[in-house]
Amino acid sequence: MRHTAGIDIGTALTKAVIVGGGNGEALQVLGRGMVKTGVHLEKAAAAALVEARDMARLGPRETPYVVATGFGRYTPGFRDTQVTEITSAARGAWFLFPDSSTVLDIGSQSTRAVGLANKGRVRAFKTNDKCAAGSGSFIVRAAKYLQVDMGKVGELALAAENPQPISSICAVLAESEIINHVSAGVSVEDILSGIYDSLASRAGLLLKRVNLTGELTFIGGVARQRGMVRALEQRLQVKVNVPDDCEYVCALGAALLGLSRLEKAIGTAAGVTA
Amino acid sequence: MRFAAGVDVGSTQTKAVIMQENEHARIVARVLVDTGANVTKAAEHAFHAACRQAGLEAREIGFVVGTGYGRYKISFGHTQMTEISCHARGAHYLFPNTRTVIDMGGQDSKAISVGESGEVRDFVMNDKCAAGTGRFLSNAADVMGISLDEIGPLSLQATKPVKIATVCTVFVESDILSYLAQGKRGEDILGGVHQAIAKRTISLARRIPLDPEVTMTGGVARNTGMVCALEEVLGRKLQVSPEAHFTGAIGAALFALEKLDQSFEFGLWRTEHAAHGGN
Repeated sequence: MRHTAGIDIGTALTKAVIVGGGNGEALQVLGRGMVKTGVHLEKAAAAALVEARDMARLGPRETPYVVATGFGRYTPGFRDTQVTEITSAARGAWFLFPDSSTVLDIGSQSTRAVGLANKGRVRAFKTNDKCAAGSGSFIVRAAKYLQVDMGKVGELALAAENPQPISSICAVLAESEIINHVSAGVSVEDILSGIYDSLASRAGLLLKRVNLTGELTFIGGVARQRGMVRALEQRLQVKVNVPDDCEYVCALGAALLGLSRLEKAIGTAAGVTA
Repeated sequence: MRFAAGVDVGSTQTKAVIMQENEHARIVARVLVDTGANVTKAAEHAFHAACRQAGLEAREIGFVVGTGYGRYKISFGHTQMTEISCHARGAHYLFPNTRTVIDMGGQDSKAISVGESGEVRDFVMNDKCAAGTGRFLSNAADVMGISLDEIGPLSLQATKPVKIATVCTVFVESDILSYLAQGKRGEDILGGVHQAIAKRTISLARRIPLDPEVTMTGGVARNTGMVCALEEVLGRKLQVSPEAHFTGAIGAALFALEKLDQSFEFGLWRTEHAAHGGN
């Protein structure tokens, strides 16, 4: 069995996925790992890989082919190659939901909309990585001002009765707005719901530019927050797929692309098409 | 002897200035307080402190003009004017040859084209994005664990300013942490941060005519590093008064002095929405 590892070095978290298969064997996810990226990207990549290796119970001689992705993809000296997170997001999302036509990836510092062509290839993409307001950082900061645990934000928003719209388009300036709402007695649930709606509206703008049609697959850390999923469904009126391990999808995609590349290099006809 | 007051309620700080009617209007008191969560209280506090400083009773102040984002929350004001008009007027008082004002406040930044009498001819403003405002600088200072007073002087000691790739206040925090981890000097990081803000501010300002003399106003003018960085990008010296952060309140007080002859009911505080030409 061949092993490949995809390592997604994001601005907040680094994720690793080890995939095995090829040569007629079924594809399997064998292990995964996640660590905080911090300021030493290569260390984070290595640490995430060690976690994934342990979970996959790889022996010391079993060295996966390493494909790096994410904003830090050029950093790990031990990588074999790298791919963009656009390409890996598309591949990973298509593998999990083969009927996807569009992928939305909201990370800590950027939001990406990817239109899919056949077989998980990229048809078009649009990103916003200039402004925190459309990304996970906005939610993290809001949770801090509201003194709410990040694990609970999604559920709390679902309980909103009167969502409070956020007019600021800046994550930093929104702090004052949020504080004013809190002083005025607006509930945390209503504020969070308003924030998710604001993010969904921005995501919608990006998605429109890649022609959102059919099924949308939503990946990245923010996809774990059900309040965000609901806001997207309400705003966009489309079916939204959310994978169970939404943070790992890019790492998975990178690992799968690695496997295809290996297959090609070795010249065997594999069950996985490139 | 008649007196008037201007109160500039900013997002971060509130400024009150009392001026005396004269050949050339004279400042008799100036007070600066943090705005905090209660805007109305901040305004009252600043105003009463200014009265005490001047040795006056509140009722001796003939007219009060409010300005700044909190201007409608001033309980004791007679009327309000926009901070655009007030900064233009105030800058003109401090430097009569001012033809452009660059104002950097706590949460917004503006560039104002000013006529010969301190009237507003054109302006451009960013109040949607924290980049290019005092907030950006105070965030950077927090991340580095340095006080706001020190970041300017430290930035001037940069020998190899770092490149700041992002304009977003939130993202720059990660950039700064990365540079610190790489062992870059604090001075060089701050040099890069100030340069990035200066570039952003000047590119905003270039949307109006940037005629000399250019006066800098607002709280950020106290940051010598920022003044130097702006001068470098602009290619011209900036006029900066020690009263720079009181500019809005001074302008408001000057407008208030003009209104002293307007009749008003003593004891009845009316607030009207003031529409002034050029705003």
